[in-house]
Amino acid sequence: MNQRDLIQKSFYTLTAVVILIAFWYLLSLILNTPALPTPLAAFKSFFELFTSELMSHLTISFYRVGVSLVIATVLGVPLGLFLGKNKRADEFSAPLIYMTYPVPKVVFLPIFLILLGIGNLSKIVLITLIIFYLILVTTRDAARNLPKEYVVSVKSLSANELELYQHVYFPACLPAILTSLRLGLGIAMSVLFLVETYATQEGIGYFIMNSWSSLSYDKMFAGIIAMGLMGFLLYLLLDACEKVLCSWVHL
Amino acid sequence: MDYLSIESLQVSYVQDNQITPALKNFSLSLPFGSIGVIIGPSGCGKSTLLNVLAGLNQIYQGTVLINGKSPKECCATALILQEYGLLPWKTVWDNVRLGLQIRGFSKKETVLRTEKILNKLGLLYLRKRYPAQLSGGQQQRIAIARSLVLEPELLLMDEPFSSLDALTREEMQDFLLELWHETNLTILLISHNIEEAVFLGQKIFVMSECPGTIIKELSNPLAGDYSARGKVEFLEITNSLRSSLRGLN
Repeated sequence: MNQRDLIQKSFYTLTAVVILIAFWYLLSLILNTPALPTPLAAFKSFFELFTSELMSHLTISFYRVGVSLVIATVLGVPLGLFLGKNKRADEFSAPLIYMTYPVPKVVFLPIFLILLGIGNLSKIVLITLIIFYLILVTTRDAARNLPKEYVVSVKSLSANELELYQHVYFPACLPAILTSLRLGLGIAMSVLFLVETYATQEGIGYFIMNSWSSLSYDKMFAGIIAMGLMGFLLYLLLDACEKVLCSWVHL
Repeated sequence: MDYLSIESLQVSYVQDNQITPALKNFSLSLPFGSIGVIIGPSGCGKSTLLNVLAGLNQIYQGTVLINGKSPKECCATALILQEYGLLPWKTVWDNVRLGLQIRGFSKKETVLRTEKILNKLGLLYLRKRYPAQLSGGQQQRIAIARSLVLEPELLLMDEPFSSLDALTREEMQDFLLELWHETNLTILLISHNIEEAVFLGQKIFVMSECPGTIIKELSNPLAGDYSARGKVEFLEITNSLRSSLRGLN
């Protein structure tokens, strides 16, 4: 990205932030309720609480989402590539995936809480399960639709199965994998909020709900800002990964 | 002795639980250091043949020998595809060195050979570019470089210039001839283009419709002659080939 593009992108981002805050401000004036504080009050609370309270909750939430994303990727990508490459295995597994994919996994939260306890494990397993499916299906479809000529040309260079994954399937599917990770991140943040509102006293979801129940709306919005920023930063990180690892897509 | 010898080759595919023959009683021979061109109607099994020769399809009946070895044992072949087969996520440099990397050459040898071949073909200045940043002709030259870097004895080409415009196609035909004059390559090229077959092929093989077999073999004295395109004999041979192909339809 050259300097001009960078300036342009920064300008657009800044404009979006200004529009969002202006909209928020107008809405808070119109509604005139303590449940929706002005952006100024919310940001003031955010900066006051950032090091004292928010940081510890954010760290634990970040840990839960980060670990889930990593585990889902480590499991979903190789399996997706394998299924996309091997027609028989794909045909064999397809009914199982199609039957279980549409089931909303959040309904298993109570079961996970009973089986895996109220600690991090149950939360991480639930988020992982949800993102895993997304990564698995996207990667499998990308591998399945890979133009045959790439495989033939590399096979003709005497590549073995492992080298085909290394030089063809994985790099070819990487843009799709990163897209599924970005989509998965949005879903993971929503599920994170949900799982952190049950049987826990840690995490940004808990912080938001706890502030809500004690009618501390400024504090609640500080938590919302923190959660939004966390999602935004993770999204930027994935975006940067895509720019670096898939530069050939943007030519 | 012929460098490439195919006798009574038969290849079949299973499609919708039915066995479909792609090649039947196919025989062909090509001496070392010559150019053979196969021409025939669409779907006559030309690409199937190249897959067998490249060792990608090992299920066949009959005898296929490359320098006395089966395609699986012979690693002196290189395959160039119609759509070049370059990997869009690798730079020109990485595409060209891929075969060496896969075949376990040392890093030093890989760098030396890659640099040498790109230099020889005048493509070194493109080394940092991706295939999407190249023209069709440049992409095909890189695909050729990727094959030549392995120092093959037999170059298999599957309609290599069919995606190019007329002028670039002629340029690439001249380029291939130059390469052939400089090396001892045996080339087996598949083409849909009659003029291309006559310009390049010392031996021209006409294939029947599916299941493919050779129905006509032609020795072509004009092959390799840069000035052949304007000669009367060139037109006569192309017309003869055209008649053979029309007879199939």
